[in-house]
Amino acid sequence: MTKPAPGGSPLVVSDALSDALVVGRVLDGDGEAFGIIIRRYEPGLLRFATRMLGSTDAAADAVAESLVRAYRHLAQCRDPERLKSWLYRITGNRCRSHIGRRHTSDVSLDDAPPVADPADTWAALERGEQVALVERALAALPAEKREAFVLKHVEGMSYEEMAEVTGARIPTLKMRVHRARAALLVALKELV
Amino acid sequence: MTGNDPRLQEALDGERDPATLPEGLREAYARLTAAADLLREPPTVSVADRVMAEVRRTAPVAVVSPAGVARRVARWFTRPRAVTLRLRPAWTLAVAAALAAVVLVPLREGVTPGAEEGVAQFVGHFPGARSVEVVGSFNDWRRGALALRDDDNDGIWHGAVVVPAGQHEYMFVVDGERWVADPLAGRYVDDGFGAGRQNALLVVRP
Repeated sequence: MTKPAPGGSPLVVSDALSDALVVGRVLDGDGEAFGIIIRRYEPGLLRFATRMLGSTDAAADAVAESLVRAYRHLAQCRDPERLKSWLYRITGNRCRSHIGRRHTSDVSLDDAPPVADPADTWAALERGEQVALVERALAALPAEKREAFVLKHVEGMSYEEMAEVTGARIPTLKMRVHRARAALLVALKELV
Repeated sequence: MTGNDPRLQEALDGERDPATLPEGLREAYARLTAAADLLREPPTVSVADRVMAEVRRTAPVAVVSPAGVARRVARWFTRPRAVTLRLRPAWTLAVAAALAAVVLVPLREGVTPGAEEGVAQFVGHFPGARSVEVVGSFNDWRRGALALRDDDNDGIWHGAVVVPAGQHEYMFVVDGERWVADPLAGRYVDDGFGAGRQNALLVVRP
């Protein structure tokens, strides 16, 4: 697939390219190839950061900062075939840093109840309420358990991948996931 | 308690067929998977334009070409300068003698210090290694920019590079795949990517 790059020259985007090849192209000076990396991993990173921070705006900032940092230090990615884990690790660190800086009294605008739109269907409203319920339950978990649950059940990672992302040992991660599940079950009794 | 039941955990870890769970656990399984589904909603924002604007604004990742390295090394040998030498005092006299042989060439040529540069000498003991190189912030962590040599096959690898004065992070890369923080660096900094890994720290004074 070929799509015009904003700079004018065409950017060949191919899912067939391995992460290592794309990284090699960027390191050889083809900055536009970094767009392939963004396209590949941005949705997952944004979802991960949103679940960690409970705010779309904060997540966007964290992911943008993480991707820029990844670009600048791309040569430091020791195993480009594991680029995904490396990007999630950088983003996870950025989220933890953000959580550490955030005052507990801060309230995200995203936490505000959604304004009803007459065009919304009942099913959509109900789904919105369910999402809000799960988000609140998730936000009540300690950051480590929240991260473990999201990586496992939202991002669908194996425990091995999670260990690469977090630096924690697999038994530790299993314990965090198990405890997160138990806590969520209690908090989600209302969820149909 | 339902949430702690190992059968539920096994099913959620994909190690057990959820259909084999008793009814109460099946309901808990369904509740948690439904919650995960709700959290999997795709993001409604994109930072792609913002990041690519920064990528285009920032100079591309620097590439240190072999020709560039050769030019710098040639400049180092032809321009008078002094040498800031990183010696490893804990090593044997034999090692020290070998190192002395390495540094005598520039010293004999009466080198004097450059204004804002120094020479970093790297030495590592990697018996049996097929290759050892140094990557660091001074060469943009570019592989292949600074290969160390072990001409007499004694497992002691060494090399030198001209670097700007200041602090630089670096690592040895052994056999092209094993990243090793210099055990004798003395100073280390977190690599900034989590997992508790550290880069060695080099301080070069002009």
